Amino acid sequence: MDQQLIPRGVQRTSFGRFLAWLAPWVLLFGVGLYAIYLCLAQGLFHTNMDNRFAFGLWIYLDLTVIALGAGAFFTGFLLYILRREELRAVINSAVVLGLICYSGAVFVLMVDVGQPLRAWFTFWHPNTHSMLAEVTFCLTCYLTVLLIEYVPVVLKNRKLRQIPRFLVFEFQLHKVMPVLAGIGTFLSFFHQGSLGGLYGVLHGRPFAFRETLGLWPSTFYLFVISAAAAGPSFVLVTTWLVQRISGKTVVTPEVFRLLGKISGIMLIVYILLKAIDTYVWMNVTSPAAGFSAFSFYNAGSFGSWILFAEIVLFGLVPAIILLNGNLRKRSGVLVTAAFMVCTGIMLNRFVMTIQTLALPTLPFDAVLSYMPSWQEVATFLAVVAYGMLLYSISFRYMTLFPQEKDISQSSWR
Amino acid sequence: MFPWIYGFHWTPMHIAFLTIFGCVIVAVAATVVIAVRRTRRTLTENTHEKLQWMSEFEDLPLFARACRHQMTGETPSRTCHREFDCRKCSTHSQFLSRQSPELAPATADQAVYGLAMPLDRYYHRGHTWVQPAENGCYTVGLDDLALRMIGKPEQMELPAVGSTITAQGTGWLMKKGKASLRVLAPMDGVVVEQGTGDAGWFLKIRPVDGTANLTHLLRGAEVRPWILREIERLELALSPNGVGFSLADGGELVDEMAQQAPEVDWDGVWGTILLQA
Repeated sequence: MDQQLIPRGVQRTSFGRFLAWLAPWVLLFGVGLYAIYLCLAQGLFHTNMDNRFAFGLWIYLDLTVIALGAGAFFTGFLLYILRREELRAVINSAVVLGLICYSGAVFVLMVDVGQPLRAWFTFWHPNTHSMLAEVTFCLTCYLTVLLIEYVPVVLKNRKLRQIPRFLVFEFQLHKVMPVLAGIGTFLSFFHQGSLGGLYGVLHGRPFAFRETLGLWPSTFYLFVISAAAAGPSFVLVTTWLVQRISGKTVVTPEVFRLLGKISGIMLIVYILLKAIDTYVWMNVTSPAAGFSAFSFYNAGSFGSWILFAEIVLFGLVPAIILLNGNLRKRSGVLVTAAFMVCTGIMLNRFVMTIQTLALPTLPFDAVLSYMPSWQEVATFLAVVAYGMLLYSISFRYMTLFPQEKDISQSSWR
Repeated sequence: MFPWIYGFHWTPMHIAFLTIFGCVIVAVAATVVIAVRRTRRTLTENTHEKLQWMSEFEDLPLFARACRHQMTGETPSRTCHREFDCRKCSTHSQFLSRQSPELAPATADQAVYGLAMPLDRYYHRGHTWVQPAENGCYTVGLDDLALRMIGKPEQMELPAVGSTITAQGTGWLMKKGKASLRVLAPMDGVVVEQGTGDAGWFLKIRPVDGTANLTHLLRGAEVRPWILREIERLELALSPNGVGFSLADGGELVDEMAQQAPEVDWDGVWGTILLQA
């Protein structure tokens, strides 16, 4: 039925099966839209956040998807600026992932702020002393860049490219892509960093507060590097999932290994800096604020195991695996390690968002607890469903993996 | 944020903030404007066909982009990076200096798996042929593989007599069923006569400056290995999802293949073989 929209030289499942695959995600998305409607029409009392616990599941989602979506900028940087041509095999997929992550984050922020019609206030009256002002501007600009980067992916569709003006525009956009990749890298550096810096400047929360290096607190740099480590791993994991779900080989094993290696290099740098940062925080920053660092790990369920899991289990271990050429050749090990990297980043963003807010700030305070409402969870899942829908449609009708044709035509040789 | 907004102060932070983001917005906008202006210029200058071929060539699988000298065994492995335009390829010149395949006499026919591939003509990788004709003109037609694969088109759109065509640009358009096919022009020149295809040819072309540079076209000993490779590509394009190369050897391709296997995505198969992305 839709055969003429599918790129030539690749094979996709039947239209009926594709619709069946989309159906549950559409349903999930619909439930999420209803939850969003409740929050926007009736108010944020539908959430379980309050003035004390102002950052919840949604901000955690934002931080996580923005870190995982870093694959778009980092892959673009490596391909267009550092000329790692092997990454052309995944750049389109990375762009789609980035677009999903960033548009999903902005979408949820719009609900979280609660007054989307007044969103322009943040641009017109920004607090230039706040890290969030930088985040807002960078996110908006970078989402625009990602949308522009997505345009040639769409215009290369088999039917659309038959229209000369689309074909030429796609070609010309492709030629200016290195400029957009450079701008994307610049913007990503600042907003990834500012999201981390946001916590590092919280004087009133010694669990998150960090020493300043140059202009920004150490968390600024740690967020940038950790995102650069997680991005390629997320691209690797999603590509592997695409292969498993579609039953097609879409990139060569060498591309997987390269992504793993890049992720491993960035991760080991991150873990090294994170270890130093944690050491300084434990021995200098936290005692200077009058707290023993380990006192933060005696609160509720936030034990020191989190620190171990973050730095060693989901940091050092996958870094060692990804840096080992022999282990990288074992597909199962490679994907597991990449999955661990993503888990580690998700855990780090959880610690920075949820644990920071849960810990008491006054001597008579108890550990705060927070459980998201169904509306928050449904909104969260709506973003996941939106991502699945957009990615599935893109995979079916656009060329996300240029190597797929080559592989499908050479697999029998 | 802005100087005219309440609360703005001329502090270094405000100025830096404004400057940096102003530059980013200008850079993004300028990039898009440049792309739009180049697009308009390309469309105005009517050079979009060249871009179309460049774009489609980039999207061809590596197997389809194999160098003609790889197919003849002159080099073990080589992929074309010049959009099949050997006229500007220095490597091709080097190969030609060693051994230059030539056209055979008109009687020397060559059949490959039942396909008639006469060696008295030149072949383009997009499955058209060029044969020198009288008065310095050239006759252009579809090769036997394309003819059997496509059969009789339901609609033809040939370039008007007097119009100019360029190699790798649109030679003519054909419609069959829902498929719309663009046949690549094998050479540069002016159309002097239109054919119907029934007589075996579609166009007669006169080179613009009197002489045609046909260096990029296959000939002689190059034809057989190329067409064998094309049959492989066709078999693979026809194979069911995920099965790969599975058709029986030894048979011959039938006429009107689309009628024999209506379940196949023929638009995709024709496009693949005629080098459309």
